[in-house]
Amino acid sequence: MRLFALAVYLFLYVPIAVIAVFAFNGGRSATQLQGFSVQWFGRALSNPFVVDAFRTSLTVALASATLATVFGTMAALVLPQARPRLRAAFDALIYVAVMVPGIVIGIATLIALVTVFGWVNPVLAAVWPGEAPPQLGLGYGSLIAAHGLFALALVVLLVRARVAGMDRSLVEASADLGATPWGTFRQVTLPQIFPGILAGFLLAFTFSFDDFIIAFFVAGPQTTLPIYVFSSIRRGVTPEINAIGAMVLAASLTLLVVAQLLLRRGTSRARG
Amino acid sequence: MTDRDDHISRQRFMEELRRYRKGSVSRRHFLGVTGLGLATVALGQGLGPRRAWAQEGIGDRVAIATWPNYHDPADFDAFTQATGAYVDVSVFGSNEEMLAKLQAGGSGWDVFVPTNYTITTYVSEDIIEPLDLAKIPNYDPASFDPRFAEAGTVDGKVYAVSKNWGTTGYAVNTTHAGDRQMTTWKDFWDRTKEDFSGRTMVHDYQLTTIGNALKYFGYSFNSVDPKELADAEKLLLEVKPHLFAISSDYQPSMRPGDAWMSMCWTGDASQLHRDIPEIAYVLGREGGEIWSDFYAVPKDAPHREAGYALINFLLDPQVNAREALFHGYPVADKRVNALLPPEVLNDPILYPAAELLAPLEFGAAVTLTDPNRAELMARFKSA
Amino acid sequence: MARRRIGATLLLAPAGLWLLAMLVLPLVVVLVFSFGERGPAGGYAPAFTLANFLNLGSRGAAFRNTLVLAPLGTLACLLIAYPLAYVLAMRVGERWRTVLLVLVIVPFWTSILIRTYAWIFLLGGQGIPKLLGWLGLGQPMLINTPFSVLVGIVYGYLPLMVFPIYVSLERLDKRLLEAADDLGAPPWRSFWQITLPLSLPGVATGCLLVFILLMGEFLIPAMLGGGKVFFVGNALVDLFLQSRNWAFGSAVAMALVVVMLVTVTVYMRLMRRWGGGRDDVALM
Repeated sequence: MRLFALAVYLFLYVPIAVIAVFAFNGGRSATQLQGFSVQWFGRALSNPFVVDAFRTSLTVALASATLATVFGTMAALVLPQARPRLRAAFDALIYVAVMVPGIVIGIATLIALVTVFGWVNPVLAAVWPGEAPPQLGLGYGSLIAAHGLFALALVVLLVRARVAGMDRSLVEASADLGATPWGTFRQVTLPQIFPGILAGFLLAFTFSFDDFIIAFFVAGPQTTLPIYVFSSIRRGVTPEINAIGAMVLAASLTLLVVAQLLLRRGTSRARG
Repeated sequence: MTDRDDHISRQRFMEELRRYRKGSVSRRHFLGVTGLGLATVALGQGLGPRRAWAQEGIGDRVAIATWPNYHDPADFDAFTQATGAYVDVSVFGSNEEMLAKLQAGGSGWDVFVPTNYTITTYVSEDIIEPLDLAKIPNYDPASFDPRFAEAGTVDGKVYAVSKNWGTTGYAVNTTHAGDRQMTTWKDFWDRTKEDFSGRTMVHDYQLTTIGNALKYFGYSFNSVDPKELADAEKLLLEVKPHLFAISSDYQPSMRPGDAWMSMCWTGDASQLHRDIPEIAYVLGREGGEIWSDFYAVPKDAPHREAGYALINFLLDPQVNAREALFHGYPVADKRVNALLPPEVLNDPILYPAAELLAPLEFGAAVTLTDPNRAELMARFKSA
Repeated sequence: MARRRIGATLLLAPAGLWLLAMLVLPLVVVLVFSFGERGPAGGYAPAFTLANFLNLGSRGAAFRNTLVLAPLGTLACLLIAYPLAYVLAMRVGERWRTVLLVLVIVPFWTSILIRTYAWIFLLGGQGIPKLLGWLGLGQPMLINTPFSVLVGIVYGYLPLMVFPIYVSLERLDKRLLEAADDLGAPPWRSFWQITLPLSLPGVATGCLLVFILLMGEFLIPAMLGGGKVFFVGNALVDLFLQSRNWAFGSAVAMALVVVMLVTVTVYMRLMRRWGGGRDDVALM
C-alpha cells in the first residue's frame, strides 16, 4: 500500500524533475543536456513577453477570482431565501456553467463577442461625439468575464454548501439579541462560511491562472502565461520554458512554506 | 564580400555550428570564424556599426508569426541587441491557421509569413496593408527573382516581400528504406502502408497533405474537383492508421528516430540531412508543390514600426545569408546568393534538378478558401 | 418580507447578469450559428439549414474517442487516486498528512502545458521506451497513442480525484471501524461495508469533476496524441482555427453540450440511486 503511494509520488515528480533539470541546461535544447547554466532564468526574466504574460495572467486571475467570490458569495447567501422559481433558474444556470466544457465556453464567447462587437462598434462610431470612438474588442475584459463565469459557479457551489451546513440558530440568536443584519453577517455568518469563500477564491484563482483553452479563444491581443507557453512549445521548446515552469513552481512552494511557517508560529504562540 | 574566399566551406561551417551548439565554442568565436561580417552586430558590441537601428525608437517589442525551424534564433537576438526590441516568435503549421487567427481579429502580430497563394485572399479580406517600402530600404525589387517575388504584388501594390522559396517533398531515413529506392509520392503513400507503418508523418496542412495525396492519382496538386478529392480522401483514410503523427513540425520526431519518413519542406530537409546524413530528401517524380513565402504586415499590427524594422533587418543581405545558412531554404534575392558559399548554391536539396522542378505547381488561391478541401482535412484528422 | 425579497434580488443581480451575459448569450449565439452556413472565406454566413446537424456523423470518431477515453481516463484516475487517498487518510500520521497532501497538488502549480510537455519527452523514443529497451523489454511505441493520452490524463487530473476522496475518507467516523474491529470483522469486510460506502460521495464527486473536464479536453490529446487521438475538443479547435467553419463548429459544440448534459445527468441519477437516495452525492 505504501509502496503504491511511493510509486504514485514518483509518477508525479519524475516529470517535474525533468522540467527542473532542463531549466539549467547550457544548450538550447530542452531534451538534450549540454552543460549547466542559469542563463535561461535570466532570459525568461528579461523577456518582456514573458513578464507581460505573467502580469496579464496575474491580473486576470485576481480580478476574476475577486469578482466571482464577491458576487458568488452574495448570491449563495440569499439563494436559500429567493423565490423558488428564481432559485430553480439560478441552479440550472450554475449547473450548466459547471457542465459546459471550457472549450465550448471559449468558442461561444469568442463568436458571441465578435458578433456583438461587430454590431456595437459601428453604432458607437456613429454616436461618439469625439474624434476617436472607442473600439470594443477582445482583451482583459473578455478574459476576466469568461474566466469569472466558471469561477462564479464554483464559488456559489462551495459557499452554498457552507451556508447549508451553517448553524442557523446562531443567526437567529444574534438577531434576537438585537444585532444588525450586517453585524450578524460579520460576527456570525462570515466566520462560519469563510472556509468556503476562501476555498472558492483559491480555486477560482488557480483555475484562471492555469486556464489555456478559454483564454486561447477570448484573449484577443493579450497573451496569458499558458498561451505564451503553448506557443513556445510549438516553436520548439528552449529551456526558457522549463525555467518559467520551475520559477512558477518555486514561487508557489515558497509561498506555501512561508504560510506554513507563519501558521506554525501562530499556533505555537497560541499554545505557549 | 562577393569574394568567395571570405567564406568557409559548408562542411567547416557545419562543424563550427555543431561545436557552437554543443557549447564548446562561444557565439563570438562561432560568428567570427563563420564570417559574414556580422559578428559585431550579433554581439551588439557598443552597437557601433549599426547604431541606426537603435535610433528609430521602435519600442521594446515585436511579434512575428512564422513557420517551424524557419529562423536562426541568434538573428532575433542580434535584432534585440541592436534595436532593443525583443522578438516574440509564434509558429504555425498551416496558412489556414494564420488566416483563422487574423480573421478573428486581434492576433497581436506585427509581421507574419504567408505563402504565395494566400496573399490575394488576405488583400480581399482586408487583413494586410500595402507595405510602406520607404521603411524597408533593404528591399530592392530588382534583385528578387520575379518568379518567387511577384505573388507579393497585388493590383500593382506591394503587400508582401519575398522571404524564401522552396519545395515540398518528403524526408526519409534511408536506414529503414532497404534497397528499394524511393522516388515518387506513390512510394510515399504505399510504403507508409507497408514497411513504414507507424513511422510516417504528414503535415497538419490541407494544401500539402491533400495535394500530395492527389498526386498519388496523378491529379493536380491544387485540384478542387469533388471526385478527385474523394479519391484523395479515400487514400488518406486508408493511410491514417499507419501514421505516426499529423503535424507540420516533424523535426522533433525525425531527429530521435521516432518517425522515419515525413512530408517535408526544403529547409527542414537540409537541416535534417546536415545533422543526420542518412536522412534524404525526395521530390516526388509526379510533381507536388513549389512555393514562395513572404513577409507581410497585418492591418492591426500593434507595433508597426518595429515590424517594419524587423523585416528590413531580415532582408539585409548579410543577415538573410546567415539565415539561409541556418535554415537551408533558398533565397530569391541575388544579393544574398552572392554571399552564399558554392556548396550551398549547388546543394541538390535546395536546388533540385530541372526535371524534378518542372512538374511542380505553385499553390492556387482557391485551395485556401475551398470549403471541400477544408472539410476534407478536418474529417481526415477527426476520423 | 417584501423588503427582504428586494434585497435578495439585488444581491443576486450581479451573478445573474454575469450568467446571462457570459453563458446564456454565448450559448444562444452558438445555437443560432449552428443553423447557419460557412462564409465564403470561412467564418459564418446567416442561413437556416439543418445541414450542419446532418453532417455531425462525420465527427463520429471524435465523439466515440471522447466517450471511450473520458470514462476510461476517469476510471484510471480513480484506480490510482483511491488507494493514495486511502493511505493518506488512514495510514499516515497527522504530522505528515498535510505535507503529503500538499505534495499531491504541487505539480498542479506549474502549467498543465509544461507538465504535459515533459511527457512528450518521457514517452518519446529517447525516454521510457529507450529505458525499456535497455532493460531488454523491447522498445514499444508509446507516444501518439491512446495510451500516452491516458497517461497525460491521469497525470493532469489525479489531484482532482484524490482530494474529494481524501476528504470523504478523512471525515469518516473512525469509531465505526474500531467497532467493526471489536466485533471481529476482518479488515477487508469493514473496508467493504463501512469505508467504501462512506467514501462513495467523494468518489462520485471526483469522478464527476474529472469526467466533465475530460469531455472537453483538447490539450492532452493535441500534445500527446500526435493529431491522431482526436477528442471532440480537437475537432472543435480544428473547425474554428483551421477550416474556419463557424456554423458547423457551432453544431458540433451544441452536440457536445447535449451529450455532456445527458451523460452527466444520467450519471448523477445513477449515483443518487446507488447512494440510496442520499442527497449528499451532490456536485461538490
